[in-house]
Amino acid sequence: MSILLQGWSLYIRATHRWPGVAALIPFIPVVAVWAIIAESGLFPRVFFPGPVDVVHSFVSLTYKGILPDYLYDSLVRLAAGASIGMLLGIPLGIWIGTNRIAHRICWPVLLFFQAIGDIAWLPILLIWFGFGLSTMTFVIVYTVLFPIVLNTVLGVESVSRDLGRAARSLGASPARVLWEVTLPGALPNIITGLRNGLGYGWRALIAVEMIVGTSGIGFMMFDARRAGSVVEIMVGMIVLGLLWYIVDGWILAPIERATGRRWGLVTA
Amino acid sequence: MTTLQLRNLAKTYFDPYAGAHVNAVHDVSLDIEEGEFVAIVGPSGCGKTTILNMIAGFIPYTGGEILLNGKAIDGPGPERGVVFQSFALFPWKTVLDNVGFGPKMRGVPKAERDRIAHEYLALAGLSHAAHRYPGELSGGMQQRVGVVRALANNPSVLLMDEPFASVDAQTRMTLQEELTRIWQERRPTVIFITHDVPEAVFLANRVVVLSKGRVLDQVGIDLPRPRVWDDLIEDDDFKRLSAEVLQMVRSA
Repeated sequence: MSILLQGWSLYIRATHRWPGVAALIPFIPVVAVWAIIAESGLFPRVFFPGPVDVVHSFVSLTYKGILPDYLYDSLVRLAAGASIGMLLGIPLGIWIGTNRIAHRICWPVLLFFQAIGDIAWLPILLIWFGFGLSTMTFVIVYTVLFPIVLNTVLGVESVSRDLGRAARSLGASPARVLWEVTLPGALPNIITGLRNGLGYGWRALIAVEMIVGTSGIGFMMFDARRAGSVVEIMVGMIVLGLLWYIVDGWILAPIERATGRRWGLVTA
Repeated sequence: MTTLQLRNLAKTYFDPYAGAHVNAVHDVSLDIEEGEFVAIVGPSGCGKTTILNMIAGFIPYTGGEILLNGKAIDGPGPERGVVFQSFALFPWKTVLDNVGFGPKMRGVPKAERDRIAHEYLALAGLSHAAHRYPGELSGGMQQRVGVVRALANNPSVLLMDEPFASVDAQTRMTLQEELTRIWQERRPTVIFITHDVPEAVFLANRVVVLSKGRVLDQVGIDLPRPRVWDDLIEDDDFKRLSAEVLQMVRSA
């Protein structure tokens, strides 16, 4: 009993000191079950490699430079697509959010196009742009754009009308109201939109790379399928999961929480 | 010298659901002198907030005119400071930056506007809260910030729209006493909207009773200043004036 309590106490203190540990520990049983199934010989090794094989493959792919190169390609594409998506999406969202007529006209159209998933565009894009960067960029921008626009509109509309009026009666021009009131007021929602958009964009990117890619993590995984290398596919899957976990859990979510916490105290 | 003149002010709007024109305000004429404290009272729906929003320039008027120092008003402007029932402080700015917002819009350099903001915060006893965010303050403190933020911009007229309606009763009495004190020190021209008759009598030089979009009557309040609740609550003149105004509001 006291051993259990001591173990529990050790765990609590360790996770308090290094919060990252708390996120890793739940994966221990998952990896253990995986290892046991792989080692049991239930399935042939080539079809169902174990954790050790995956680590070996990861090290060798990294050592050969394939994994870093492809990862770099994927991340650059996501960053480029996300940047274009923000440049288009935030102004569009602000325009729709502040203009009642624009809202009436654009909102149903936005919802319609949002419903056509990114991948559903691929057949027509392949005919229009072929297997290349244009197609890939279009899909990522498209995927990132909608969450950003829709959340920016929500954010702009959530800014209390009195705040804009207060700024105007303190001498702010409409342009200053946009900069001093509308944008900061909408910021927590814009960040939520960006976070969702990057998440969807990351998934869409992998799918597109499988179909049109000549490089990237998605391409690596699909290429491994041709070679029948399950282990490399698994490396790709784990890299995708880990990378998103790091980007979302360590960067985006804390930013979202920080702005939401400060701004969220608004009217309570 | 008259600061603000409302001449036959009217507001008609079209209600698309009812399919008819609605007269929120008809034919209101008022002259407000410089340094006067005017309270406008009336039951809800009498058009008092509509009048204030038209003076502030938030909504257009459809008849008559509003003259400030002889000039017709056009949209919101810094010469008409507004204090909101919802406080309307910028939650992402510190108290100091909220109060310094008006001067900032005028292009006052940072050091100078911080000096102005500190001066006005001291006036409201808020110097200790300068670097806090509005969300960290109580409702009463937030509205003190709202009042000095409007004053720090040196407006010709201060428009207050039921500013103390959303704080608790004790805090409200304190805020009312502080407002009369600040008014005596600075003598701003104030238009104060409320449905609370004792509040109007306590604060104002003149109470305007509004009913169904028209001025029903006006009562001059010549109670001595400084006014504090401990003195006035049992004061015969205060009770008589309150009863008189209340009678008008109830008959409205």
